[in-house]
Amino acid sequence: MGLKAIVLASAVVASATIAWLAAVAPSQAQNATLPVESVEADVSTRSVSITSGFTGTEIIIFGTVENSRQPSAEAGTYDVVVVVEGTPAPAVVRKKARVGGLWINTESIRFASFPSYYAIASTRPIDEFAEPDVLNKNEIGFSHIRMVPSGRAYIGNPNPKEALEFRDAVIRLKQRDRLYVTANHGVIFIGRSLFRSTITLPPNVPVGPLTARVYLLKDGVLLSSYQSKVDLERAGLERFLHDAAIERPLLYALSTILLAALAGLSAAFAFQRAMAS
Amino acid sequence: MHVYLPIAEMSVNVLVFLGLGGAVGFLSGLFGVGGGFLLTPLLIFLGIPPAVAVGTGAAHIVASSVSGAITQYRRNNVDLKMGLVMLVGGLVGTFIGVEAVRLLRKAGQFDLAVSLIYVTFLGVIGTLMLVESLNTWRKASAGAPTVSRRSGQHSWVDGLPLKMRFMRSKLYISAIPPAFIGMFVGFLAAIMGIGGGFVMIPAMIYLLRMPASVVVGTSLFQIVFVATFAVILQAVQNRTVDIVLAMLLILGGVLGAQFGSVAGDKLRGEHMRTLLAVLVIIVAVRMAYDLVVTPSELFSFGGRV
Repeated sequence: MGLKAIVLASAVVASATIAWLAAVAPSQAQNATLPVESVEADVSTRSVSITSGFTGTEIIIFGTVENSRQPSAEAGTYDVVVVVEGTPAPAVVRKKARVGGLWINTESIRFASFPSYYAIASTRPIDEFAEPDVLNKNEIGFSHIRMVPSGRAYIGNPNPKEALEFRDAVIRLKQRDRLYVTANHGVIFIGRSLFRSTITLPPNVPVGPLTARVYLLKDGVLLSSYQSKVDLERAGLERFLHDAAIERPLLYALSTILLAALAGLSAAFAFQRAMAS
Repeated sequence: MHVYLPIAEMSVNVLVFLGLGGAVGFLSGLFGVGGGFLLTPLLIFLGIPPAVAVGTGAAHIVASSVSGAITQYRRNNVDLKMGLVMLVGGLVGTFIGVEAVRLLRKAGQFDLAVSLIYVTFLGVIGTLMLVESLNTWRKASAGAPTVSRRSGQHSWVDGLPLKMRFMRSKLYISAIPPAFIGMFVGFLAAIMGIGGGFVMIPAMIYLLRMPASVVVGTSLFQIVFVATFAVILQAVQNRTVDIVLAMLLILGGVLGAQFGSVAGDKLRGEHMRTLLAVLVIIVAVRMAYDLVVTPSELFSFGGRV
């Protein structure tokens, strides 16, 4: 028992040492030549409140390229991509067809998940500088967002033909509602290493935490990335009412009825007095 | 000035919805109708999800009918027994209606169902009203007396069992037809977001042969309670009652209704009915157009999952 534990512990220490060596060795080797560029970034607002007066807001994502070898802001040595994503959620997409003269929802596909909101900004159009597999792997750009139809028919078949037009429709509908937005020159270098980007959250942005991702690329190769969360929550009266409607629907309904009845009665009463006098 | 609606989950212009409530209120005061049949389609045209428009519409009906119901009750214009029989049917109908809303939303066919029901009802009733009011108009100008109510005739209604005596209406009829009418109207209230006066009043006059003096009061009595029940069920079952939207519509609506009823006193009855009929037909045609014309976007997101 005791021996077993010692053997196990020494095995863990040994493997950890090997892993550490493996991790440190190449970077030390590179340090000898030139320092590696990396990205450090942050978001101007870590939490956004949706109150009754919410009409959308802007968040600024800014950052810096560590060890920048760029001679000036305009040199274009580096490309930066900023992606702000809403919480992925399942959704049904329906398609209308003409049935007996009327337009009726006939076909539908349920997607297991896709982001409720997706804003992308970059120093220049992404397909000008990045390889499709970098974009695919990191879900950068509308056409690289993972959208898997759910249901038994699609197991092991992530991109069936019949789902393609539904996928395009999701992007089109989301773009129409300004929930999927692209800014091809939305990331601007301010100096050799400092950059910034402004992302607009529309009034209809779905409630839920947002993920902000920043990618640093050079010659189409991903050098470094950064990720952060932005809380997007209901607050104040807005939160109170929404919580009441979900958690105490009966009380919420009775309050609505009471307010409605009072409004109806007081208007009639006030008007009668006004007419009488 | 904008406000964020907690259930519809969108930011809307306060003045637009106050104005909409006011305009619908004015028309409902002018014509002496609830106005739900105008409100629901207009909310849908303005981008409110149909299910939220219908659920919130029920709250608007509570506000617009409660003071009228109390006034009528005080004037002894409510046949309580008849009202209660209809109400029993009404509650059952509302329950079925709210359940139908839930199932139709799940199947992705609720928007279609609402449009079809609206087009059918408004089309039929608008046309009947228009024909009737134009006839009275013609007769009135010809100087002939107008006949409003046939009495002493027998119909299939008299052959049904479960007969009850309704003192206030001076009727001895089966409880089945009033309960059935109530049920039907409750169903419509839940699925269309209306009070249903425009279906109930003709049914009470022509089918049950109730005296005109108690028809309006009794229907208002039933509408208040059915709408209250509809608000509760829509909020609990479907989460489709938006309290902020309801308050905006009600605030505009109750004020508009008062001005409308003053204006209504200055209009002649048959003129008013013709105008109302035309309005009803316009709404029906507009909704039918949306069903038939090729949509610019064939795809849509299908409700929450």
